Amino acid sequence: MAITVSPETFDFVSFDAAYIARIAQHVAEQLGVSDIDFAIEIDETSALNRIGTDTSGTPVQITVHSGAFEDKRRPRQQSEVDTTLSIARCMLRARDRVRGGFADAPAEKDLTLPQAAAWDTWIIARLARLDMPVNKQAWQYNWRNRHGFNDRADAAFERMWQAESMDWSQLCAASDAARSISA
Amino acid sequence: MRKFMPASELARDERFSQITQRDRMADGRSTVVLNNDQNRRSNNRLTPQRGDASEAARALMHGIFVGEIQALEGAGRTCWDFTTGEEAPFALKLDMARQAWDEARHVEISCKLSDWMGAEIGQYAENTVLFEAACSDDPVLRLAGVNRALEGLAIDVFTTMKEFGEIAGDPYLEFCEDWMLADEVTHVKMGSDWLRKVTENDPERRKKALEFQNIVDKMFSYGGSRSESDESSLMIARRFRELAGFTDTEVDYIAEVSMQALNERKAQIAERQAAVASKN
Amino acid sequence: MAQASKARAPFAPWDRREIAGAFSVEETARRAGHYKWTEMKLFEALGGWIATVPELDVKMRLGTHCYKHAWHAELWHKRLPELREMNPDRLTVPANDAMVRFIDAMTEPEAPEQTIEKLVGVYRVLIPHFISAYTYHMNNTSEITDMPTIRSIKFILQDEFDDWRDGEMLLQSLIDTPEEADRAAAHQARLEKIMVEAGGITGPGSIGFQ
Repeated sequence: MAITVSPETFDFVSFDAAYIARIAQHVAEQLGVSDIDFAIEIDETSALNRIGTDTSGTPVQITVHSGAFEDKRRPRQQSEVDTTLSIARCMLRARDRVRGGFADAPAEKDLTLPQAAAWDTWIIARLARLDMPVNKQAWQYNWRNRHGFNDRADAAFERMWQAESMDWSQLCAASDAARSISA
Repeated sequence: MRKFMPASELARDERFSQITQRDRMADGRSTVVLNNDQNRRSNNRLTPQRGDASEAARALMHGIFVGEIQALEGAGRTCWDFTTGEEAPFALKLDMARQAWDEARHVEISCKLSDWMGAEIGQYAENTVLFEAACSDDPVLRLAGVNRALEGLAIDVFTTMKEFGEIAGDPYLEFCEDWMLADEVTHVKMGSDWLRKVTENDPERRKKALEFQNIVDKMFSYGGSRSESDESSLMIARRFRELAGFTDTEVDYIAEVSMQALNERKAQIAERQAAVASKN
Repeated sequence: MAQASKARAPFAPWDRREIAGAFSVEETARRAGHYKWTEMKLFEALGGWIATVPELDVKMRLGTHCYKHAWHAELWHKRLPELREMNPDRLTVPANDAMVRFIDAMTEPEAPEQTIEKLVGVYRVLIPHFISAYTYHMNNTSEITDMPTIRSIKFILQDEFDDWRDGEMLLQSLIDTPEEADRAAAHQARLEKIMVEAGGITGPGSIGFQ
């Protein structure tokens, strides 16, 4: 497996490319994607907390705005936890697409907001089960923003959070069902 | 207890991490996304339609939370720092005490909302810029900086958040922001009324206060995060500002300054992105 | 229903209010002026301390209580002209020099580590003295001629009891060790001694005893 990180040095933030690569290596092993090549590209001019994954070519591209790796308490400093979680989210999404029953899923930019939220929920729930430090309430809020603020949407979130297995069509069906209740 | 307290001494528990406006300005990064297609503008307005809406709303809510703490502290200090009658009228101090209570409730509301949105106290850095605006040794300047500029910004923030809650269908957020907005309009109005009353026969002092307000408004427009363009995450809430006693000319001025700040920021980003691209 | 024109006693059988009261208009105004001065000093101090306490729950309570005492000061400010004092500032004064020293000593703590001292001064010394002075006044003034004062005191006492309970509970939650208990007691004793010298918020006779 090859993991590359660019840029190699940073002007706007105090990030360490080698450290990012080490974290990525560790996460890849944890998630069982050590056989996939990844290129992690960081936009250090943006403080936004955005990430993206593109599995259309090789290596798999992970794009990150610097806010996604940042320690929010100490601006411009790197956070190990945030770096780990952001990379893990991207790698798990890549794993889903490559061999997890999500091959039919549209490209990142074509995902609807509810689809993206549902997929994120499913990803984060699995990371929580690996003992990664996630804030469930934050993801429930994200789900509610996309599926509605009501008890039945909350119940659908809980089912998604507890789900042992899921493929793209099941995920879409669960998301659509939750939204139709709200509508 | 001494009079006048610097922002660097604001008391906080271990969860908080403070930064100054100087630190903020040293950060060359942006939260404004440029669209490289010259014919299209990016929409950065904080609405549920943004992909990162939940995280951005959470970060803004934490900003509101720490802002409310500083507003509470600023109002409280105005009660203490000025001698009643000689330096500040009794009724002005009563208003500031009332504001302290309102801000204390806003801190409580922000805590509840942060919890609801999945944010933790101290999860983000606290910029002490708001209290810095509340450190003037002239109560009129302080009112201009805090009640008109800072609380004016709060009107913009709460209007944006209220709309966010409305569009997302989040009854809790919409309800809370609506109530806080009502208080903020009252606070700005207090500032507008006292500014007029105290400087009635002192045009020089009024001029100085308005200049100070403009400086603070510029400071809050830094980075272009607030403007009438949807390239900024926060809108300027004209209607509520009018209710609070801002004239059209004053709102036009804020809109202009904010737009300038946004354009400056965009030019900086383009320059930096070009530099990074040439490096790579 | 009885006939509308039937004569009725002006005081119903259950209305036992008495006209007699311990205070003249002048004495009531004097006390109101001292109340206003002390409530003002209290709301100013609470406001100033907000920024100096690191405990978030205490910070918010101080902000809430700051307004309540400002409102009490305002009630007395409005009552003074009704008591023939057209210049309320003239009577907005401390009862004596010891009261000035009391407020100075109470507002001395500033450091973030001194939350216990700040709260002890307010909730274990000043507010209990307010409660007793207001209670004495309410129970001894004329229930008919001075009803406006009684009404204000009833509102104020409700706040004082609520705030005293808030403050005492905060203190109990902050005092964790024998050393902290000693600190609290020592500060309370220091302030109480000055208050004894002052004779209470309105001076000697604040609660009837000279």
